[in-house]
Amino acid sequence: MTATESPDASTNYPSDSLTRVSTAEPPRGGGPPKRSSVFEVFKEMPLLVKFAAIWLVLVFFGAIYAKLDTVVFGGALPLQDPNLQTNNFNAATGTFGDGAPSEGPSLAHWLGTDAVARDTFARVVHGAWVSLIIAAVAAVFGVVVGGLIGTFVGYVRGVADSIIMSIIDVILAFPALILLLAMVSILRVRSLLVISLVIGFLSIPAYTRVARANSLSISNREFVTAARAIGTKDRTILFREVVPNVLPTLMAFALVSAAFVIVVEGSLSFLGLSVQLPTATWGNMINQARRDLRQDIWQVIWPSLALTFTVLSLNQVGDFLVKRSSVRASSL
Amino acid sequence: MTKRGLYKLLALLFSFALIAAACGGGDDDTSAETGTETTEAAAPDDTEPPDDTAPDEVETEIAVDPDARVYGGTVTVGLEAEATGLRPWEDTCASPCMNMAITVFDKLFEIDSGFIPQPYLAESVTVNDDFTEYVVTLRSGVVFHNGVELTAQTIADMFPIQQAGAQSAGAVTSSNLADVQATGDLEVTYTLSMPNSAFLAFLTQAELGFVFEPGAAAADPDGFTFAPVGTGPFVIESRDLDNETVMVRNNDYWRTDADGMQLPYLDSIAFRPIPDEGTRLDSLLSGTVNAMQSLRQATIRDARGERDGGADITLLEFQGNNVGGGMFNVALPPFDDVRVRRGLVQLNNQEQVIEALGGTGISLPGTQWFSPDSPWWSQKVADAYPKFDFDAGVATLQEYVDDPARSDGKAVGEPIDVELSCPPDPTLIAGMAVIQQVWDASGLVNTTLTNFDQQTHIANALGAPPDFVGIHQAHCWRFSSDNDPSLDLNPALAPPSPAIAEAAGIPGVVSPINFSNWFDPEAFTAAVAAIRTDNFEERYALYETIGLRMAEEVPIWFSGHTATMIGVESNIKGVNGWILPSGELGGGFPGAEGRWAEVWVVPE
Repeated sequence: MTATESPDASTNYPSDSLTRVSTAEPPRGGGPPKRSSVFEVFKEMPLLVKFAAIWLVLVFFGAIYAKLDTVVFGGALPLQDPNLQTNNFNAATGTFGDGAPSEGPSLAHWLGTDAVARDTFARVVHGAWVSLIIAAVAAVFGVVVGGLIGTFVGYVRGVADSIIMSIIDVILAFPALILLLAMVSILRVRSLLVISLVIGFLSIPAYTRVARANSLSISNREFVTAARAIGTKDRTILFREVVPNVLPTLMAFALVSAAFVIVVEGSLSFLGLSVQLPTATWGNMINQARRDLRQDIWQVIWPSLALTFTVLSLNQVGDFLVKRSSVRASSL
Repeated sequence: MTKRGLYKLLALLFSFALIAAACGGGDDDTSAETGTETTEAAAPDDTEPPDDTAPDEVETEIAVDPDARVYGGTVTVGLEAEATGLRPWEDTCASPCMNMAITVFDKLFEIDSGFIPQPYLAESVTVNDDFTEYVVTLRSGVVFHNGVELTAQTIADMFPIQQAGAQSAGAVTSSNLADVQATGDLEVTYTLSMPNSAFLAFLTQAELGFVFEPGAAAADPDGFTFAPVGTGPFVIESRDLDNETVMVRNNDYWRTDADGMQLPYLDSIAFRPIPDEGTRLDSLLSGTVNAMQSLRQATIRDARGERDGGADITLLEFQGNNVGGGMFNVALPPFDDVRVRRGLVQLNNQEQVIEALGGTGISLPGTQWFSPDSPWWSQKVADAYPKFDFDAGVATLQEYVDDPARSDGKAVGEPIDVELSCPPDPTLIAGMAVIQQVWDASGLVNTTLTNFDQQTHIANALGAPPDFVGIHQAHCWRFSSDNDPSLDLNPALAPPSPAIAEAAGIPGVVSPINFSNWFDPEAFTAAVAAIRTDNFEERYALYETIGLRMAEEVPIWFSGHTATMIGVESNIKGVNGWILPSGELGGGFPGAEGRWAEVWVVPE
């Protein structure tokens, strides 16, 4: 018996009470378990993770702001059109002003302009929306589909486990980027939704494996054994005992996975095969600016920094939450 | 259908096109003999070069380097890609491949500095009056790398392999080549099914021009790509795909230079694919490679900056006929209406597009199939091509938009929808952004941008049998080359589908590689007539007619002529100004394709 195993788990309590124990904060000092608020979780974070969380919040709200500006306010909010070439373009004559399109940072263009005079700050902010949506869709797909499949096969095992995990292993063994390139080429449509769904589909195997591993472990716990012993139906055990205990780990994994997904989208964009142009993404910004690296290195650096900070932040916050949920799980 | 099968189908269909085209008429009886004499004359006196050329345009003059030749040394060349293969009959041989292949294989004919085919492995050629029979005499004493002697029978034995090859089969049919016979020890007779005065141009190309050892090719067709056997100045030593291919001196090479010195000068030469442009330039600057090629204007710009900043490199720049731009699929509405095509071209801010492409001061604006440096360039065509004129473009488009009978079926006043598609290259994406902004600023166009990889991009334009209409609308494309105009223009002008051929009264004449689907009887007739004569003035007039029709109908639009470059460390000499066996100046380095037999390294 581990230090955290409660004597309650070996008794024939109703499964409801077992569930509460299994999903709650481990009892400390005999006090009642309680959920932590977001603010309390933030306070627990080390300083670096705090900065990471703040960055993610900025990215999140920046992306929402950019989308609202475009869709709801028709560009009326104080953020430049990310696709407008600003070098004194005269729409009445179709002509551009003199001088090089690429500008350094200024009050008008905080991060300067790219090779065709588009505002880089606006493009970085709008690029966050693509990353955000793709990461969110991939997480939802992964958690819902991959999580459920993994939890199910981890619980039932047997032939279903062997068959489904073989399929998952095959998908995992195939290079994700190659598969992604093939699927994007076949589908031809490059909307954000399609790209998100494709990447979401490819996220399923990783979530399945994580969910299965956790499900296998949890299925052997005393409270699950107890629930079986009192004749609780498998479906009830699965959804009331196992899934709620797998979910926190999956949620934490989703953050780490989101970082990977954003990099994958960036790779796809870099290859020119992500969402349709002229939609700004960090990957396609890097791709388009690399040609002029010797002329203006900053146009590569800005989106690269945004990508790096976001991925780093997701990893930091994700790792923190994984550790936190591991502590909680080990106390079951 | 497999890719190979598709190529063969295309070749077959196009052969019908040329066969029927050749049946169309023409009665010239001019004969030609090449050698040191050329069959082409200078441009007519009434053609003036443009006076609005870019101030820093590419202008490396082809000239023989006067420095003393030195034997020994190795040069490593950075290429923009790995060669897909080194089988001339089977593998696509673009610019990187050509750099490599030209060290192993010799061509029967090579271009001179005026881009006219001149004998190379061939010693002389005679042609009959109607351009259906070319008798080529080979040089004696030439041996392949495996010791086999080059004879007329060698060339005859190559022919069945070329007929079946994925790449060369198309060249066989489009050149009208019907048979190759050894009619003497060193005399080869090429028989054409139909007249083609430009046939020798095909013998300067990789598909039919490179001479390979047919015995080795037949013995191991697949292995030939790793162990190619030619008569070239270097022999392959090792081939590590995507890493390095090394060639060493062919001590039995048949050529000497003008002073009688045995070629090649170098001990060995190595080729490394370095796809990233910046990395390739950095590799040259750091000495990781000693030479590099580039077909990107932005890289030329950066290399110029490095040179001007003190880097010890020599840049050999070239700007030929190859011109970027795009085409409209005239088989689809609204592009079936010339008002739409003309209006969109008038709304193409060409100067700004070239700026976005990184070509300001490097690329000359294109107005036609030929660059201003070409003898085929025409002032009349340049004047006729629609220039950027926003108001005129809006007015032209407005006329279509307000037409109740507009072809796209939209209501009067509704903007037209245009899908502008290019491969996902940063340079092209920048150019697309400019075009989109100006088109959309008219208020009469809704432009959607799409990108597909190169293969899909081409497939979208090619379409599927039987009509080969394609699904493209406004499509980025490259046009022209520095070889004979017929090689590129004739296939682009033939009927694109059986239905159009039928309607034109020339059933069976189909060219699936007429990607714009534009068929103009007047232009096509001129193209057919142009390969039935070798008189330059006559041919010039015919190609000018074609240019004027294209400027009138605007199935394609132009941005700038493509600048290319070979950059070398300054102690590497001879890339510029190689000579032909006759002693005449060769064609330099078009398309960043170097000839490495006459390159030497000056010891530091």
